Amino acid sequence: MSEFILNVIHRPEMVPEYSATVTGHGKEEDIGDKKLLTESLDIFKTQQRLAHENGLKVTIHMTYAALFNEEAVQIAKEDHEKYGDEIALSLLGLPCEQFREKYKTKDFCIWMFSMEDKKQIVDDVFEKFHDIFGFYPESTGSYYMDAELTNYIKEAYPSVKCAIATCWEEGPKAYHTCNNSWYTLFDGGPWAPWIPSKQNTHAPAANEEEDSGIVAIPHLSRDLLACYDGNGSNFGTHPQNVLRGMIYDSKTWEYPYLYNLIDQYRAQEKYNNGYAYNMMFVGPGWMNKMGRWEAPYELLLKSYSDGCKYYGQLKKEGKLIDMTMSEFADYYREKKTYTEPECALWRDILYGSDKQLFWYTDPYMRAGVNMDQGGAIFDLRPYAAKLKWEVGIGTKHVQDASYPFLIQEKYRAGYFTHYAGEGTIRSAKLCHNGEEVDLCLCRTKAHFSQEGNTRILTLDPVTIEFADLTVKLQTKEYFEEGTGSIKIERTILEMSDPDAEVELNEYMVACYGTTEYPEDMTGIILTCEGAETKSINYEYKCREESLADAKAVAAVVPAIETKVSMTQTGGAEGYIREGYAFSPMFTLGYKKKVSDKEVFATWLNLEKAN
Amino acid sequence: MAQSGKGKLNYRCPSCFMRDLDIDMFYDKDKEEYYCLRCQFTGTEEEVLAGNEMVRTRYKAMHKRFTKFDFD
Repeated sequence: MSEFILNVIHRPEMVPEYSATVTGHGKEEDIGDKKLLTESLDIFKTQQRLAHENGLKVTIHMTYAALFNEEAVQIAKEDHEKYGDEIALSLLGLPCEQFREKYKTKDFCIWMFSMEDKKQIVDDVFEKFHDIFGFYPESTGSYYMDAELTNYIKEAYPSVKCAIATCWEEGPKAYHTCNNSWYTLFDGGPWAPWIPSKQNTHAPAANEEEDSGIVAIPHLSRDLLACYDGNGSNFGTHPQNVLRGMIYDSKTWEYPYLYNLIDQYRAQEKYNNGYAYNMMFVGPGWMNKMGRWEAPYELLLKSYSDGCKYYGQLKKEGKLIDMTMSEFADYYREKKTYTEPECALWRDILYGSDKQLFWYTDPYMRAGVNMDQGGAIFDLRPYAAKLKWEVGIGTKHVQDASYPFLIQEKYRAGYFTHYAGEGTIRSAKLCHNGEEVDLCLCRTKAHFSQEGNTRILTLDPVTIEFADLTVKLQTKEYFEEGTGSIKIERTILEMSDPDAEVELNEYMVACYGTTEYPEDMTGIILTCEGAETKSINYEYKCREESLADAKAVAAVVPAIETKVSMTQTGGAEGYIREGYAFSPMFTLGYKKKVSDKEVFATWLNLEKAN
Repeated sequence: MAQSGKGKLNYRCPSCFMRDLDIDMFYDKDKEEYYCLRCQFTGTEEEVLAGNEMVRTRYKAMHKRFTKFDFD
């Protein structure tokens, strides 16, 4: 039986994000502005009403500021009694007179404070919550929760079992969209709920020892194709995100995209043992009475009302189960094992391109596969390293909380580069009589299946046309649960000349980083392993080594404590290639002559390198 | 010349939006136009709204309701 779970979250925020800058434009800052407080509470009450009218349970995330507001507290208590809403505690919405007075700062993002301040703030808000409600919360959250913060909360307040812990792909793209003034730099995490490891929030726990003790949920359920290239905040199950993207008919105020997005998430149960998930969380600033950008209040209200109505309708039809966050944490722990991956086979539902992606996350990796590029891996995060990456003031990463990539086709190009050099991608080339065709140029579609603990993508065959030879090739990709490996198998289904041979070049161009700008590659060690070992210590010298029938070709990237390697079924020549300053990449690969009906497989493997 | 302010709605620059930038525009009441602080866009309300419609041309499937999400 398939189950589609929904978490609806509301937060009474006394100084809503954006409201202060929109409502208050042209006025001196007044964080205690009574007009703002009244408006914020009105919005919260409206949101609660709309959810309850549609039969939906809410998790109320009390902000620190709301804990000082008797009316907000009263509403939370009443709605808990009447509707079964969960009263939880948000680490968003810290700004208020009391906070400013105590902490003497305008910082408001919990992950960016020093560890000392994080602990003090957590103690402050959790104890205040306890004073008001007489119990400690079971759920909390922010836009991002770093591992050290979560570990502290779990240690000090063990009642917490669920947290909003990241916004999917809210990194440099969101920063750019906000005129380089929105410091939510946390790309590289899961898009659907997971159990974070104690070492790094993005990387799921592989076992009980690594278990942080909470179930994490993403802030919103986002479009897994549109968000990767565009502004994440235009494409999520936050109805006003859809308005922000202007994805509605300006005359009729209709937005089928919102329903398509929800329905595509529902469809993910096919790839996740009958389970799918959605989260809707709209801060009050997005329902500002003054309107938000070109959207008047009436449209903001309509979109939220319609969002609640659609979820409510699904619930009435028995197609949705609404839960509070803490209820969901219990459900998730019951439903999932540590190593069970989250899979998403996702199509374009907005641009009319029919492009299709596959996303895979488990405790060892996050990988993205692009069927429009012949099944190339266009994004790869080596969770196997479980990289300790402290963030906040006093650490090496004050703002940058992203999990580093090895492959990121937008930040480090992919198949296409200008003039010279290479971009990060894991693909293959076929060569014949001086002609070369990259599978990145072979557009296809994939079908999902599962055999035991292996998830399989079977791509529709593609045809490669050389001047004097046509080759029909099929790709299958195997994601083997709990191994940190992806097997890619190519089968030559047909050749116009059955006696011909072509060279198959399986390759991976990679580097490391978290942003659009290059990192220092010095110190990376490339090796061919087999009958002998050949190595290159990265010095931007454009060198290359190869080894017949290499057992493995590998790169150790000390900066992210990662070893990435490729292995093969046998018979191919392995090679390693150093980059140069204009192309700060490395390449691992295998070349093999293949003939009609031949099958050749390689594995991409990720390990922690200390 | 008096300072600029916000218009009745807080329009974004359509030209910047097309390059994935959300930039609030300001209204110059003397010239009766909206203008962008970051790029060189200026326009009347009608021109801004027309620009917003151009933004939407990238969303070819915006009006379509999907019922199938795989290619099986």
